[in-house]
Amino acid sequence: MAFGGVDGTGITVAIVDSGVERDHPAVGGKLIRSVRVELGDEDPIVVEDPEAIDVVGHGTACAGIIHGLAPGADLISVRVLGPDNRGKGTIFAAGLEWAIAQGASVINLSLSSKSDALFGVFHEIVDSAYFANVLLVSAANNVPGPSYPSLFASVVSVAAHDIADPWTWFYNPNPPVEFGAYGVDVPVAWKDGGRMVATGNSFAAPHVAGLVTLIRAKHPTASPFEVKAILAAVSNGARPGG
Amino acid sequence: MADKPRPPIGPEALDVLRRIAIRGEIARRLETESARAVLRSVVDATVALFEAEAASIALYDPTTDRLVFEVAAGEQGQGVIGVAIRPDQGIAGYVFTSGQALALSDVASDPRFGRSVAEKTAYLPRSIVAVPLVDDHGTIGVLEVLDKRSQAAFSLRDIELAAVFARQAAVAIRASRVERDLASLVRATLGDLASSSGGASDAAIEELVQAATERIGGDDDSRLWALVERIARIRKIDPGRLELVSDLLDALVRESERDARARRRVRSGGGTAVRPGTASPGGSVGRDRDR
Repeated sequence: MAFGGVDGTGITVAIVDSGVERDHPAVGGKLIRSVRVELGDEDPIVVEDPEAIDVVGHGTACAGIIHGLAPGADLISVRVLGPDNRGKGTIFAAGLEWAIAQGASVINLSLSSKSDALFGVFHEIVDSAYFANVLLVSAANNVPGPSYPSLFASVVSVAAHDIADPWTWFYNPNPPVEFGAYGVDVPVAWKDGGRMVATGNSFAAPHVAGLVTLIRAKHPTASPFEVKAILAAVSNGARPGG
Repeated sequence: MADKPRPPIGPEALDVLRRIAIRGEIARRLETESARAVLRSVVDATVALFEAEAASIALYDPTTDRLVFEVAAGEQGQGVIGVAIRPDQGIAGYVFTSGQALALSDVASDPRFGRSVAEKTAYLPRSIVAVPLVDDHGTIGVLEVLDKRSQAAFSLRDIELAAVFARQAAVAIRASRVERDLASLVRATLGDLASSSGGASDAAIEELVQAATERIGGDDDSRLWALVERIARIRKIDPGRLELVSDLLDALVRESERDARARRRVRSGGGTAVRPGTASPGGSVGRDRDR
């Protein structure tokens, strides 16, 4: 079986988003580090975020979904959403670059940049992730136009389906969106220890990130493209231990 | 599915589109505030088609680093106009910064949610869909729709549809910058709608564009356009005289309204005999007289 008998132990998953609430029950105490990216004088800088807050609730929602599927995995939060909106694309890119350098095996990206100017920057980062054996799971965008890095071939791009089951996912042979996962009316964790019901590709991506985490725990030597192949091969209703 | 062309929208939607076109044309003739007028028509259409309690558009203002709610529609939406939030605040902030469309329900059950905006508007929605407004250079704002009356939550399809409206709003903003003509605005919108609903040929779209825009500015509406032209001229006069003109107009409008009420009373047979009179010049588009 693709991931029978594993719970993600030994795998580190980074969530590049609005932050993750360390104390939220849905995260299960598995948040081991929290940083935020700020715009310095010139370039973005990564600083520790010891309070581990989530400014929206969205990142905690993603973390909760991943923890629900892979409760053994360690989580790192990279907050790229802050009060300063200048250069938000470069802040996002810097956060992603940092997460890759930290050796996270899986990175959840329920966000994207629409700036054509950053095409090259993201292309380079995504390639470096691939060669560093890091799997990027990226929410597809519902809005037409550029969306980086979700449109790049080496990422696992995910859209939402409406079957209320975290363990049901589909492979779509017509790119750019390659996988479909649970993303409609999903009960999720939210800000200040709260909960919410949410719909969007944003919530489908962490389901696949959780599944990918289990595959990586079960097959530690599998490269990103092998993990993707396994994910496609066992799609459509596979369950752990089945 | 895409093999057989089908009409992309029904008569009611066409009517909405026609009203959008008329508003767009008014805006063009007034030559000012055109973007805002079209944005307003986008939120009007959004509320109508979603059967939602409210819809609003917030645009990013780089000088203040704030998302500002520019237009809103629906009874529950009005309070939000002018509200400025930090671009990392709330759902609008998240959607703006992440570029990711999303929908939330069960919102009211969480008392912490969106308190800052809700306190300013005195309206806390149960459900919300928010999509980014995107142009060629990135995300410029957010379209939000609150509380669909028929359902407790918004669907994926709703997100996609809202994205089409957001696209229209983004086109409108661009249009205000480069003076795109009305027909191409409607055409672009329909093109988006058609591709998202998976049908409709170019010919069908062209037919709809014609249906929505034909005879705008023609004889049927000549009084309306005469009024619009006058207002356009008034806007250019000396500010000192503007108050006087505005007071005069006000008096004319009140006089016309009194007239119309009086005639209604006569027709319904109630009250004492009142001189029916005729519509006042300038202040009426003559609808009452035609009835």
